[in-house]
Amino acid sequence: MPNILVSDPTLRDGNHAVAHQLTLESIETYAAAADAAHVPIVEVGHGNGLGASSMQVGQSLVPDREMLIAAREKLTQSKLGIHVIPGFATIEKDLRPAIDIGVDVVRVACHCSEADITQRHIAYVRERGKQVFGVLMMSHMLEPTRLAEEALKMETYGAEAIILMDSAGALLPPDVSSRVSALVETLHISVGFHAHNNLGMAIANSLAALESGATIIDGTARGFGAGAGNAQLEVLIAVMHRVGYETGIDLYKMLDAADLAERAIIPVIPTIKSTSIVSGLAGVFSGFAKHVDRVSSKFHVDPRDVFFELGRRGIVAGQEDLIIEVAQALSAGELRIEAEKVEA
Amino acid sequence: MSRYDSLVEDCALSIGAEASTFAALGNTRILITGGTGFVGSWVAEMIAFLNDRHKLGVHLTLLSPHASEFSERAPHLAGRSDITLMEGDVRNISAVPTDTDWIIHAAGSPDSRIHLSNPIRTMETIVLGTQNVMQAAARIGALKRILVLSSGLVCGPQQWESAPLSEESYSGMDCNRLANLYAESKRAAEMIATGYRSQTGLPVVTARPFTFIGPYQLLDRPWAINNFLGEALRGGPIRLQGNGSTVRSYMYGSDMAYWMLRLLVDGRIGAAYNIGSPQGISLKELAGMVADFAESHPRIELNTLPGGELHRSRWLPDVTKAEKDCGLKVRIGLDAAIRRTIAWHTGK
Repeated sequence: MPNILVSDPTLRDGNHAVAHQLTLESIETYAAAADAAHVPIVEVGHGNGLGASSMQVGQSLVPDREMLIAAREKLTQSKLGIHVIPGFATIEKDLRPAIDIGVDVVRVACHCSEADITQRHIAYVRERGKQVFGVLMMSHMLEPTRLAEEALKMETYGAEAIILMDSAGALLPPDVSSRVSALVETLHISVGFHAHNNLGMAIANSLAALESGATIIDGTARGFGAGAGNAQLEVLIAVMHRVGYETGIDLYKMLDAADLAERAIIPVIPTIKSTSIVSGLAGVFSGFAKHVDRVSSKFHVDPRDVFFELGRRGIVAGQEDLIIEVAQALSAGELRIEAEKVEA
Repeated sequence: MSRYDSLVEDCALSIGAEASTFAALGNTRILITGGTGFVGSWVAEMIAFLNDRHKLGVHLTLLSPHASEFSERAPHLAGRSDITLMEGDVRNISAVPTDTDWIIHAAGSPDSRIHLSNPIRTMETIVLGTQNVMQAAARIGALKRILVLSSGLVCGPQQWESAPLSEESYSGMDCNRLANLYAESKRAAEMIATGYRSQTGLPVVTARPFTFIGPYQLLDRPWAINNFLGEALRGGPIRLQGNGSTVRSYMYGSDMAYWMLRLLVDGRIGAAYNIGSPQGISLKELAGMVADFAESHPRIELNTLPGGELHRSRWLPDVTKAEKDCGLKVRIGLDAAIRRTIAWHTGK
């Protein structure tokens, strides 16, 4: 009997790595392989979730509806999951049709200090009789006590599990342990963890989460995801099985799925690039990497400076337009002076 | 037959042959703070019944920041000449009508979503609101009683193996945990009322509500019974968190109103009384009853997420004191309470 629930956002977080250009064929190919490996939840969609396709954060190649229908057809055992950020996704325009298509698990996400905005979306999913998790993104930005209080709000709204996301890959194992433990002690529902690999800690952090009481864990094939990527799912499963956790996933078929993903859907396997390290150190959302590289190149500024300045400002997902402002200011020499003042 | 007629029947069932116990209320004036919530609405139903059937001549004032909404929600009560709606927030009031004979201080939502999202306002309403109401009440020389609604949560959590919570059972709560904010605020409010009773001679009686069911309770509230009813009325499935072993008890709204009014009239000054049903039921059994009684007979789904099935708790009141001092009994059992609540929501 599995004692750990694995959720696989390869076809959602991976979309960040290809500027949301995953094709229908890629979605069908990987969904079928993950289904064959008995992955419990396969998450699909734009990198920022349902309804997020836009000029600001990037336009999807394939509309939400088509992605979900394609995945639904291929998933016979695995549940179909979606990532939903209120603001990007509205209930009537996005959530209702997604559930009508056959989504099983809705993960309603927000910045880690903004749980209040998830109440209506969580309540709606419960009304529709579907499974709903609360997701707290950028969890490095809040200390464990407040993080647990935000999670508790989501529990009272009706969430059936809470997932902590280390969206910037900024946490180290002790940071993960203290955060997950705070949630486990406070909540009456399951706790999960979603890692990013900016500082090379994705597998170690995932293990720390499990050892602290998390029972839901995210990972993607070959780590395909934003920035330096996620916890590499096939490695994570192997490690979990070695430690003694039961996932119900067929390791050989998962290895096959990951090989297939590398051949068929991942143009460039995620590596920890210099900007990813800086992004992790600065505590900036991994999904910013492509935007920062592009904008830095345009304004002839050092992307590392951009990341550190974004981190200093506490910029979070959804504020991508500020990358340009920071790059412009750096280019004009304004910020260097300001940064010196801060350091002094 | 209007949907409100069933509420008249509910009041008759809860009062039984005991209407004469309310003789002291005859031709007097009652003020309820938080008067348009679950408690206030049911007390209003009960007063309307006593006036219509037993010619008691009570005048009721419902003080609430949501008074205008109440007119839309319960027009049969809002339109009555013996009920006055008074718009006001206990955080800001400095006086109440000086011809008030009785006060039920019920202001403060028990909705944990509000406590967590707006802890400062929650505390202000409970603590500052109680202070304001006590101060205003102390200026009424002829006030007969003030019933202060606290919460069964002030006793702290009930251990799984422990007996039901009596008014004298206490265990400490961590006052650094936000989840305890409501209970700690209610503890402070009880102490404020105790201070006013001691220093000004205010005739304070305290009620500690537990868990309730019935019309006027909104189905979006974050409590198990509301979730089960809401899910069943939408056709299901009923989703059960945990393994269903958690135990609660439920008192029907008209019984609750009858108990409130009896404690107002007959409760001992300075005493605290639990209000609730002593009959515990596991949430799994409760979900089964709701599924049986709902027209759709929805299936029940246990939360099968790893780690989510471990939590269980028990929260039951010992109501011996209310039985002994006032002869109070539960008149509407859980079976009837669920059926009547479903009928209210479906209009059948």
